[in-house]
Amino acid sequence: MRLLSLALFIVTWWVASLLAGSAKLPPPPAVLAAVITEARSGALFVNLGATLARVALAFALAMTLGVAIGYWMGRVRIANRLGDPWLILLLNLPALVVIVLAYIWAGLTEAAAIAAIAINKLPTAIVTLREGTRALDPALDEMATAFAFTRGRAFRHVVLPQLAPYIAAAARSGLALIWKIVLVAELLGRPNGVGFEIGVAFQLFDIPLLLAYALSFGAVVLVIETVLVQPFEVKLSRWRPRAA
Amino acid sequence: MQLEVHVASKAFKNAAGERHEVLKDIAFALKPGETGVLIGPSGCGKTTLLRIVAGLDHDYQGHVSRPPQTRIGMVFQEPRLLPWRSVEQNLRIAAPQADEAKLSALFAALELNAHRSHFPGELSLGLARRVAVARALAVEPDLLILDEPLASLDDALATRLRGQIASLVESRPMVTLMVTHDLEDAVCLGDRLFFLSARPARILDVVPICAPRRLRGEAEIALIKAEIARRATGE
Repeated sequence: MRLLSLALFIVTWWVASLLAGSAKLPPPPAVLAAVITEARSGALFVNLGATLARVALAFALAMTLGVAIGYWMGRVRIANRLGDPWLILLLNLPALVVIVLAYIWAGLTEAAAIAAIAINKLPTAIVTLREGTRALDPALDEMATAFAFTRGRAFRHVVLPQLAPYIAAAARSGLALIWKIVLVAELLGRPNGVGFEIGVAFQLFDIPLLLAYALSFGAVVLVIETVLVQPFEVKLSRWRPRAA
Repeated sequence: MQLEVHVASKAFKNAAGERHEVLKDIAFALKPGETGVLIGPSGCGKTTLLRIVAGLDHDYQGHVSRPPQTRIGMVFQEPRLLPWRSVEQNLRIAAPQADEAKLSALFAALELNAHRSHFPGELSLGLARRVAVARALAVEPDLLILDEPLASLDDALATRLRGQIASLVESRPMVTLMVTHDLEDAVCLGDRLFFLSARPARILDVVPICAPRRLRGEAEIALIKAEIARRATGE
């Protein structure tokens, strides 16, 4: 089924390139040739690697902070009151503003890029986890209290499994957001990575190169989704009745 | 350990801000090995009283005294198992110190051996209740609290679980406090019955049952019930 949908995509692309002319939309073989050239020189892997490393770091940073702050805001009323205006501001702040300000304040450094990406993802993670924390079952909390569960045991066996779907949702939407923002951050202020290469291709009007990077990047995202994210979700929901 | 309960007053505020008193001047004490049963009409505040005894509700006037290190085993009205952990893990998480022999004995006593690796979502209510009872006893409690453990089970199931609870209660010198609205359950399991009034609940009558639990056959139980009925009409 997935192969069929992929084949359909390539056919549509090929037809569109015939209609639009290969200058505007090069056909698949031309792009494939560009991919192979870049792979031979090693540039493709260096750039993909640089981008992936940024994604991984920013994702880990934003998820850790997002889960902690979201849980805190869901549990403690005063924390929510204090944090809510900040949260609304961050949620609605355009990604570009954060990235540009980060580069201005912290220089064109790796830390600035990763921090800017993480800050863009952070508020959605907080909001999702806050809702998850508010939805925690008080009946199970009482059970844990009556049976004198230690804090660690209660968090691991009572709280975390209830938050798992929210963490998964935050990871899912957050990853999608990071994939989009990381390229902008690279375009504006990094000397390597997929975003930088696409910027170069744009300036040279090298459409095959541009598509080569865009599609390789898309392929990596697809692989990570199927190999890592989806099996993880299946494992987490193992206890649920099958039909769901 | 000795359990002493004195609740002078417990009130709830409803959404409109009106104060409703649910418990008033309830006092009793239970010794180790003794089973107290609270009987009363639905909604009279029995569960509220249990929550106070279990230390889940601190917003009341009065005091509950029990040794600070009291281990509590509690069977809630709904089983409250962790749905994402198997039956066996549910017991092990609640009672990390319980060894394999102890757990095996409990699973055997409650006929749960076949369900050890099942998830709570796969169990019927009767089975889930039994798991909840097993969990409460796995912690080797000093104080066992049972909130209508036999409610909404059919007669045959209720009778069997009642027997199992009776023999498990006998097996440990702990204080047991149970809530029920069923006289049969109360007479079969209790050593002292506390009859509660409608809201605000007060203790109307205390009926001690002297016959040891295992000697209570159908005839004795019928006799005790008749005696209780006579006391109730005599008042």
